[in-house]
Amino acid sequence: MKIQLTLAARYLWGRKLRTFLTTLAIIFGVFVIFGMNILLPTMTHAFETSVLNASGQVDVLVTNKSGEAFAPSIMHRIESIPGVQALSGNLERTINIPANYYRSGSVGALSLIGIVPRDAQQVRDYTMQKGRFLQNTDTRAAIITSSLADTLKLELGDELSIPTVNGAVKLKIVGIRAAQTLPGNEPVWLTLNEAQKLLNAPNRINTIEIKLDTTDAAQRTAISNAIAATIGDEYQLGGLASGSEFMASLQTAQQIFNLMGFLALFMGGFIIFNTFRTIVAERRHDIGMLRAIGAGRRTIIGLFLFEGLLQGVVGTAIGMALGYGLGVLIVEGTRGIYQQFLHMQLGAPVIEPGLVLLTIVLGVGVTLLSGLVPAWNASRVTPMEALRPNVVTVETRRRLNKWTIVGIVLMVAALVGLLSQNISLVALGGFAFLVGLALLAPALVKPIAQVFGAMLGFIFARDGAAELAQGNLTRQPSRAAITASATMIGLAILVAAVGLISSITGGINTLLEKTLGSDYLLVPPSIGVWGSDVGADETLAERLRSVYGVSAVSTMRFATTTVGDQTINLLGIDPVEFPKVSGLNFSEGDPNTAFEQLAKGRGLILNGVGATTLKLHAGDAIKIPSPEGEQTYRVIAVASDVLNTKITSAYISQENLKRDFHKTEDVFMQLNLAPNANRAEVDARLQEIVARYPQFKLVSGAAYLNEMRSLYTTSFSAFYILLGILALPSLIAILNTLAIGVIERTREIGMLRAIGATRKQVRRTILAEAILLAAMGTAFGLLAGLYLGYVMTLGLNASGLYPLQYSFPYAGVVAAVALGLLFGVLAAILPARQAARMDIIQALRYE
Amino acid sequence: MSLVQTENLAKIYGSGETAVTALDRVNVKIDAGEFVAVMGPSGCGKSTLLHLIGGLDRPTSGKVCIENVSLGDLSDDKLTELRRRKIGFVFQFFNLIPVLDAVENAALPMMLDGAKAAQAKARAREWLTRVGLENRLHSRPDQLSGGQQQRVAIARALVAEPALVLADEPTGNLDTRAADEIAGLLRQVAEAWGRSVVMVTHDPRIAAYADRIVFLKDGTVVDETRLNSQNGNGAQVIRGKMNALAE
Ligand SMILES: Nc1ncnc2c1ncn2[C@@H]1O[C@H](COP(=O)(O)OP(=O)(O)OP(=O)(O)O)[C@@H](O)[C@H]1O
Ligand SMILES: [Mg+2]
Repeated sequence: MKIQLTLAARYLWGRKLRTFLTTLAIIFGVFVIFGMNILLPTMTHAFETSVLNASGQVDVLVTNKSGEAFAPSIMHRIESIPGVQALSGNLERTINIPANYYRSGSVGALSLIGIVPRDAQQVRDYTMQKGRFLQNTDTRAAIITSSLADTLKLELGDELSIPTVNGAVKLKIVGIRAAQTLPGNEPVWLTLNEAQKLLNAPNRINTIEIKLDTTDAAQRTAISNAIAATIGDEYQLGGLASGSEFMASLQTAQQIFNLMGFLALFMGGFIIFNTFRTIVAERRHDIGMLRAIGAGRRTIIGLFLFEGLLQGVVGTAIGMALGYGLGVLIVEGTRGIYQQFLHMQLGAPVIEPGLVLLTIVLGVGVTLLSGLVPAWNASRVTPMEALRPNVVTVETRRRLNKWTIVGIVLMVAALVGLLSQNISLVALGGFAFLVGLALLAPALVKPIAQVFGAMLGFIFARDGAAELAQGNLTRQPSRAAITASATMIGLAILVAAVGLISSITGGINTLLEKTLGSDYLLVPPSIGVWGSDVGADETLAERLRSVYGVSAVSTMRFATTTVGDQTINLLGIDPVEFPKVSGLNFSEGDPNTAFEQLAKGRGLILNGVGATTLKLHAGDAIKIPSPEGEQTYRVIAVASDVLNTKITSAYISQENLKRDFHKTEDVFMQLNLAPNANRAEVDARLQEIVARYPQFKLVSGAAYLNEMRSLYTTSFSAFYILLGILALPSLIAILNTLAIGVIERTREIGMLRAIGATRKQVRRTILAEAILLAAMGTAFGLLAGLYLGYVMTLGLNASGLYPLQYSFPYAGVVAAVALGLLFGVLAAILPARQAARMDIIQALRYE
Repeated sequence: MSLVQTENLAKIYGSGETAVTALDRVNVKIDAGEFVAVMGPSGCGKSTLLHLIGGLDRPTSGKVCIENVSLGDLSDDKLTELRRRKIGFVFQFFNLIPVLDAVENAALPMMLDGAKAAQAKARAREWLTRVGLENRLHSRPDQLSGGQQQRVAIARALVAEPALVLADEPTGNLDTRAADEIAGLLRQVAEAWGRSVVMVTHDPRIAAYADRIVFLKDGTVVDETRLNSQNGNGAQVIRGKMNALAE
């Protein structure tokens, strides 16, 4: 035990550079996973705190499970529960404020709270700083906080303008309360009646605040339980979570990062595996000697596993420390953005114990696992091997060994799978392809090395560097193949991702044209996070329709519901008008009849994310909670539009949305003009109408399309940067293997120098070898990447998450070739220098 | 009773047309405390014999018994344990672990056997002192000369107090003086410390330190000579034998 640990530590310490390089890969993977997974909990935490803050000020809060407003009748049932002292039914809503809405100050969103003055005062304390409290008879009156008053430079008696479904409305400030201490949106109180009018929710409330008549904890729990029993399944205790849609997309982002972290760790594992294999080859002598003098097989395995363990532990620790730094940095960096746009206060980075455990298990586990096979191989080294002089073995393999054949079979199977067009076969084929290529790689090394070697021969003067490099590679094809595979994996990921992204971009462009192809759009401040957008009531759409020259107006309405843990955005469309100005990309169901079916009975069209997360297909039924109780909807089709791709959404008819969710507010509109319309005239008329609804921005379809396109391009370029970072481990891999190759041949290089090779020649040999390796890896990487990209495109298309059109990633291919060769040269610099500077005597003595 | 005994020991490398018979029905006995030198032309099977006796390799047929236990009946683990406790090796090249210093290298067999590090190292120091390396206890192999490395290997071979020490050309790459020192040391191992020593060598002068010489040719034992003070200068006797055998 002790001796293994000593040996492991000594060996690692004895090769500091290599140990560092190998560990770097683990550090990187752990860094990405740990850093990124700190972010989401931190944000979730902020989110939960803000929800908690909202609900924490009253004894009990009751809301509808769907998250939507409901009839106040349920209050009577709660009222009669013993222990309930008072209750107040409110209508609360976050409303997004368009940029530059207020001239005197900037506010991102307000929280509109409609209350019945008398009820509200019995539940909470409404101490006024200035002015008076609301009265039942108040109409356009509001109470604000002193902090909002300061921001907007308002005084008692001034008017506060807010966007409502009836257009902009001015409220007179009758009272000012103390500044709010908790993070969140600035509240604006008004009477329930008025709020219902301004939000187009007649006779609806969405929160019931309850005050209990005791402070005894046990009794309060009992009363809460009684309330819970009374309100039934459709209601819940606790506040409304505004921004849950946002959390959903945050989760998606985290999953992408996790995937990248895993890929990085996978690469790390690969690098460790690679290094360990070389180490075992290099130490055959030592191992054989240890075996000869009485070390058992288990001792040898233990020795290598200890080495893995040490590296894993150190790498994980450093990676976690750096990851924490990254997490803190991002949290600090986004604090302002978070505050401004989401009105949430980010706390200190949250580290969940589970994450720490998972990271440790992953980091250390991957290292150990990667070391396992080489360790086992090491234990098979016979004592006899200690007794033979150390000559770097020349691999003599027959041209077609069984693994090569297996590789060929796998690749053929992959191609057959591809041709079958069956998605699961294609996916399986993707895997078979990679494995097949890796198996085939050693056999391909020689021909490829010859081709590239000949090419290099032209570049380098004929001083033997290219030949020597080629010889170095071909005499140990499996080692060369492993290094090349490291490059291959890195570049394959790159090329595949570029292929995928360009296909997504292509698909999205088509989709953009389809969904946003109308002549005009009325867009609210926040696209996709519809819940806090204030829409308009039916009069706006009617006015727009009456404009001469407008041929069609399609509106979109919104409600949320929750199935299990999954928040679903329900988008209400008019089955007749919608197809005239917009469209969906169908992956299941009949596009020709889907909208007609939507008009009949309760049916919905689910988007791709929804179908995937809820595991539903066309024809299935889904039960969704609504303020009118649970409703059963039939899935008519699976289809996506561009604005809601990322969030679980379903399209239902506006009729159903009105009946089950009581929502008639239009949050988004699309208009088409008649072919002969006078564009300038119509434009002026529309501008005039929309001006009264400042929450909407009237944009021409073409302009908006371009805006969205550039938005997607930007967000994807960020993705490219992340990909670049992911390719980094493959640089480490090449660097590593080259460095190891130099270390391994130290004596040989010393001998070369001794018999008259100049430093320059040695350096060139290493450089040529690196370029050869990189070229090989790049060739493999391109092949695998193109294939994988295609497979992923097919897969995503079938899943319906994104609509895709496969497009050949020319840019990716060029980038991969450039990167591959650049990496090769970069990776060679250090080892080449090391080799050239080697002291001849030292090198010859090297053991 | 002899410590080591081989019965019709044979080793054939490869098979078919390329088969090489390295050893052919070899029967040798080595008594406790005896110093035996194995000699013969290059490729005659000396190393092979040593490896088989040391349980490093398995014979094609025949068997090796150490203290009447047949090595062929032992599992890999048992065989490893036997090597650890009963046998000490000195190889011609690459004897030492490069990342460990002299003391640690010499202490290895005991450490591998689970002894306490302090105890193992104390014993290693003792043996290193006996082989004359008391000044180089903490040098790493790359800081030692070839002869010094060889002496560390001898200390390591002796540290676990094995019954048998096997040395394959321990003086092969040493100068005359260093070679004499090593051979003298091995003689002492047998004479003063009562271990059996089997040493392969080409050098008649070094072989003369032994009690008995076994001559191999083409995988078979062709002659055995016991050296004693009666038959005069050992080296001379050996040279004579070698010349006779070469004809
Ligand atoms: N691993 C092996 N595979 C094939 N043949 C082998 C192997 N090891 C040894 N031999 C052959 O067996 C014969 C005996 O080899 P061995 O190493 O025992 O000779 P040796 O007497 O020690 O020679 P030297 O004095 O040169 O060290 C030789 O002919 C050699 O070629
Ligand atoms: Mg030999």
